Amino acid sequence: MKLFTALFFISVACITVYALPTDPYPFSSEKETKRFVTLTQEIRCVVCQNQNISSSNAPLATDLREKVYRMIVEKKSDAEIKTYLVKRYGEFILFEPPFNSLTLLLWLFPFIGLLAALFFVYRFAIARHTPSLL
Amino acid sequence: MTRYFFIKKFSPLFFLFVLFFLLWRSLFYAHTHELPSALIGEPLPHFQLKTLYAPHSFLTPTVFHGQVSLLNVWATWCQACSQEQEMLMKISQDYHIPIYGIDYKDNADAAKKWLQDYGNPYISIGSDPSGDTAIDLGVYGTPETFIISPHGKIIYRHVGVIDQHTWDHVLYPLIQQYRDTQ
Repeated sequence: MKLFTALFFISVACITVYALPTDPYPFSSEKETKRFVTLTQEIRCVVCQNQNISSSNAPLATDLREKVYRMIVEKKSDAEIKTYLVKRYGEFILFEPPFNSLTLLLWLFPFIGLLAALFFVYRFAIARHTPSLL
Repeated sequence: MTRYFFIKKFSPLFFLFVLFFLLWRSLFYAHTHELPSALIGEPLPHFQLKTLYAPHSFLTPTVFHGQVSLLNVWATWCQACSQEQEMLMKISQDYHIPIYGIDYKDNADAAKKWLQDYGNPYISIGSDPSGDTAIDLGVYGTPETFIISPHGKIIYRHVGVIDQHTWDHVLYPLIQQYRDTQ
């Protein structure tokens, strides 16, 4: 009996299971793989709006990943892929909004805020060093 | 001096008020789920979909030429689509607007059964099992309905169920405009 038990464990130990990760998006070059990773992280999943299509499990995100993959394989440039998607889903699909008249305030606001903060700090410092105005 | 004091005292309150106004606006009036389509005014992107009832013929953008029509993207797994079907039946029967359908990521048998249950207002239905054509059209949530001009251009895109109210106030007036100019 002991022998059987031993044999059993030895045979179990001999079985090795290989779970090779199969890449669902095989590219011909490292550069293309990198582009795919970057692009899918920059594209918003329009169904689950605060996730990118790289991390989302939504069916539409899967389809869009597939689409981006095929466009990269077809040697389309990043700009072409983005233009294609923006045309269909609007600029909202890109996490980083482009700089235009609509988004002017959005892009410039941090700088305006910083200038305002500096101005107030300056004013505050002056007020402390000079006798009260009142 | 008093004026300066007044500004100094009330400006934080003013800023707070502006902030509250902006937050209130984006909370109740922002349409974050309505994405604009840049395809408005453009011809339909090319597609060639096998039709549901005759797999050897195809639904292509050429069928839309000559009259103003609707292109409705639906699926059997889409709850809202079954609610919309009654309105679509009404549109085809009472308003005599031709409706074409795209069956989005679906199974043909399930689709046929579904059409028996809920009604079939479509002149022709193209099957899009991969969802490729839907991506080309910028579809992100079914049901979606496009108004197609007699020249095959996209006039309008409606996301969600068409009810009597949106039909009367948004879609039908647009369609009538194009019917008059025909």
